[in-house]
Amino acid sequence: MQSPFKLTAIAALTFVLSAPVPAATIPAGTQLHPTQTLVRSNGSEPESMDPAVAETVPANQILRDLFEGLTATDTTGKTVPGVAESWKQTNPTTWVFKLRTNAKFSNGDPITAEDFVYGIRRFVDPKTASPYAATFGVFLHNGLEIAQGKKPTSELGVKALDKHTLEIKTQDPIPFMAELVSNTQLGPVHKATVEKWGKEWVKPGNMVGNGAYKLKEWKVNNRIVVEKNPNYWDAANAPLTQVTYLPIEDQFADIKLWESGETDYVYQMPPGVFDKYKAQYPKELRNQAIIGVRYYDYQTKDPAFKDVRVRKALSMVIDRDILSKRVTADGQPPAYSMIVAGTVGADPTPYEWANWPMDKKVSEAKKLLEQAGVKPGTKYSFSYNTSEYHKKMAVFVASEWKTKLGIIMETETMEFKVLAKKRHDGAFQIARNGWLADYNDATTFLALIRCDSDQNTNFHCNREAEALIKKGTQSTDAAKRKEFLTQASKMILDDYPVIPLVQYSLPRLIKSYVGGYSELNPQDHYRSKDFYIIKH
Amino acid sequence: MNSILDQLPNLVAPPRSLWSDARRRFLRNRAALVSLCLLSLICLACVIGPWVLPHAFDSADWESMSAPPSFANSHFWGTDDAGRDLLVRCLIGGRISLTVGLLATLSSVTLGIVWGATAGFVGGKVDAFMMRIVDMMYAIPYLLIAILLVTILGREFYLVVLTITVFSWMDMARVVRGQTLSLRSMEYVEAARAIGVSTPRMIFRHIVPNLLGVVVIYTTVTVPGVILTESVLSFLGLGIQEPMTSWGVLIVAADRKLTHLRA
Amino acid sequence: MWSYTLRRVLAAIPTVLVVITVCYLLLHATPGGPFDSDRKVSAAVLANLQAKYHLDLPLWQQYLLYLKGLAQGDLGASFRYADWSVNDLVASALPVSLAIGGTAMLLAAVIGVTLGIVAALRQNSVVDYFVMLLGNVGSAVPSFVLGPVMIIVFAILLKWLPAGGWHDFELRFMVLPIALLTIINVSTIGRVMRGSLIEVMHSNFIRTARAKGLPTRVVVMRHALKPALLPVVSLLGPLAISSITSALVTETVFSLPGLGKLIVNGAGNRDYTLVLGLVVLITMLTVTLNLLVDLAYAWLDPKIRY
Repeated sequence: MQSPFKLTAIAALTFVLSAPVPAATIPAGTQLHPTQTLVRSNGSEPESMDPAVAETVPANQILRDLFEGLTATDTTGKTVPGVAESWKQTNPTTWVFKLRTNAKFSNGDPITAEDFVYGIRRFVDPKTASPYAATFGVFLHNGLEIAQGKKPTSELGVKALDKHTLEIKTQDPIPFMAELVSNTQLGPVHKATVEKWGKEWVKPGNMVGNGAYKLKEWKVNNRIVVEKNPNYWDAANAPLTQVTYLPIEDQFADIKLWESGETDYVYQMPPGVFDKYKAQYPKELRNQAIIGVRYYDYQTKDPAFKDVRVRKALSMVIDRDILSKRVTADGQPPAYSMIVAGTVGADPTPYEWANWPMDKKVSEAKKLLEQAGVKPGTKYSFSYNTSEYHKKMAVFVASEWKTKLGIIMETETMEFKVLAKKRHDGAFQIARNGWLADYNDATTFLALIRCDSDQNTNFHCNREAEALIKKGTQSTDAAKRKEFLTQASKMILDDYPVIPLVQYSLPRLIKSYVGGYSELNPQDHYRSKDFYIIKH
Repeated sequence: MNSILDQLPNLVAPPRSLWSDARRRFLRNRAALVSLCLLSLICLACVIGPWVLPHAFDSADWESMSAPPSFANSHFWGTDDAGRDLLVRCLIGGRISLTVGLLATLSSVTLGIVWGATAGFVGGKVDAFMMRIVDMMYAIPYLLIAILLVTILGREFYLVVLTITVFSWMDMARVVRGQTLSLRSMEYVEAARAIGVSTPRMIFRHIVPNLLGVVVIYTTVTVPGVILTESVLSFLGLGIQEPMTSWGVLIVAADRKLTHLRA
Repeated sequence: MWSYTLRRVLAAIPTVLVVITVCYLLLHATPGGPFDSDRKVSAAVLANLQAKYHLDLPLWQQYLLYLKGLAQGDLGASFRYADWSVNDLVASALPVSLAIGGTAMLLAAVIGVTLGIVAALRQNSVVDYFVMLLGNVGSAVPSFVLGPVMIIVFAILLKWLPAGGWHDFELRFMVLPIALLTIINVSTIGRVMRGSLIEVMHSNFIRTARAKGLPTRVVVMRHALKPALLPVVSLLGPLAISSITSALVTETVFSLPGLGKLIVNGAGNRDYTLVLGLVVLITMLTVTLNLLVDLAYAWLDPKIRY
């Protein structure tokens, strides 16, 4: 029986949006360039153009142009209506989406709720082997069990109530549902195309999507070109007619292409050149902190790290201000908590010693090490994957530990795959790690430090905090949920299973004639339909 | 008559071995001498320099990162990204690179000569078999071997030498084999065979010394190649482990900073 | 000679088999698998992925399956580029690498041999030193330094050429990469040519030719060149192979969709089928080129008989 207080809360959570929000908001008086095409670099060659299977940022970037989910994200990161024109939460674990009637696939077929049912079922089906199946599936009713192969896909909590109404049942109440369904993994898929072409349905000429763009050309390791989809319901508000994605892996080659005018948009700037380029291209350098955190894992089951005092001491003495201002030097704010600023659903809980003067931190740390019986000269091994960036951070941390505590860090570089395996197997003492939010809610970061989580590679488990997290995720009151999750996160962090270091930022160079890019976007979720080319 | 014969020993130049002859010609060539001196100076600097200079190669000076050269803080060649003195790192790196270069060259040249000369001289099925092995070594992507060796055995310095040797000996083997095929039809080889010289002795006393010309040329091409292979390994992240450094590691890091030539 | 050629072609088959087997074992022995990444995949998904790519079968069975596919010309499916078959990937990268690497090798051979001859004939003169200097610079400066410098000069400062990229064999994208590879190879070829020719010029038969009163040009072109080319030709095979298949630095610096990048990414991603497919290709190329080089030996030195 639900209390009246809870019902009010549910009512407060209900919201209806009716008017379609125009996509590209072009300021009045802007003169547009006659040719509206964009050439941009996109990091690496996508692993797949199948929306169910893709997992990397570069792939998702292109998929956001080719497909559209129930909702979408605008350039500031705000959730806006997509195929669904309105939605409401009818009870804590049920959402009903009303699809717009004029939404069509790129081949003209209308989009119905059944297409979403097909698409989402296909996504969690273990046969599709999607790496994200558990990550998003866990939120859907029976989603996790289906992804683990324990239940058939027909038991998924996604149902078409009628042609234009979709009902989704969630496992626990999730306040961020609207944002979650903006992911193309949970979008509609054209069943007939998949059945006709099988694996080849994602190739240009075969692919049928519902985004603002359709796939025109795909040359592996060379380019992916998308062109405007006239059947898109909001085609009138998508100024760009063509976007070319270049999979340039080498970041230095990337900025050179931009400087020579071959591209308009750099994927990400390489480390170490930020200041130089900021001075030279102040207006074209964009940078924003995004919700992601760089941290080091302790192997808490290793005898060397059994004592929390050791873990605390090592974390305390690292000067994160110098780290962020001088070492990484690209606008990445220091992080003293695994929940970073901008995350919804829990507050960052920086350590109480975060603002102490360094001398105080060092003397306290020395005391802790003494109490724990750790003498100067002790060696710890540190594993990281080869990259200039990680190396710089490691060199800095090693130097901090050596000069302030006399602790020696023995670094071990290895290839990425080897590191990933070692982390999951626990075959390390300290390892570098990093995590970008899959969706904007604290649970994406809590997955790194809570019990029994696949993504927890520090092997620490605090049952009390785990109980709090469960209470929080099952709560229907947003404020209470936030309180529980924040408390739980502080509890776990006080056990020092990890060393949070800095928050990710996204330094890139974009020509000043490219409009529509907002530095408020916290997850690098942009759509090409929001961009436009100013007359130049 | 007798007088001339008596004076003969004074008129004829003393006998010289081929080696001393070569040494004299080398020392008379100015370019060769200068190069030898330069090389010795570099080696000396790499050995002695780090002991003499004030900074250690792995101590980070957070106050001056990526700083230009200056006398004030005695960073004569400036500092790198992590604030470490570049002059000392270059000299320490030199130790590693020169040693790696020397050792890897020696081992790959030796292996290459033995392999190629034997294959070329013996000929027939043995030649075919040995050269097919060379073909196979060429075909196996060296990155694969590098990753495997590095991942399983570690990144000790002698393993880097081993890895580089594994991909560098084939060129020498092919060149030597080619020359051997040519030399094996020479008269002195036939003569030696007629006398009954054994095959190994023939290879090593008759063929190889006549190959040395090509071998030397090729070695001078191999040494920088080996040092560069080490730097490509570092480019791929498989080279010398931090905080130790080498010229390869240093040049890759420095090249990254070469973004524009404007002041 | 034809029977020799036939024997070599037939010998290619066991060569390819041995190389595949060695690489296959190496790949599976290397720690880390294709599905190890930041995000740990759930057990059910992993089981499905492995079943899809036959990774759940014992090694020897996978091996036989692979060989069977190979015999039918099917190189398998790639893990990393999930929507493409290895045949597709090789077919898209090979023409690019051939165009860049092959052209660069031809140019380097012609220029290198010419420079080597000129330097050898004017040994220890200014011309010689100049040529040797060029050679040394090309040899000592690593490609990953020279490449970006070329980009900065020609693409950013002068804006004559693009800073990289590739669009269907348009010439402007090919100029800088070919130039880079040519410079690097010219130095090696030139130096070996020079040294070899100097040595040959000191031999008895050349002295005889000169004593006969023949002009230098004839002496060199008709008598000295062929034997002097022997070590150079030995080089050309491996240089060509590495220019075509391992031009990783060139491809990275100029963002070219070639074979070098595929193989390095393949190894890094433990994309077994992609790496094996490329290995098959490289082996066949190596065998062919080495055969051509060996046949060239017979042409250059009539005493060499097969």
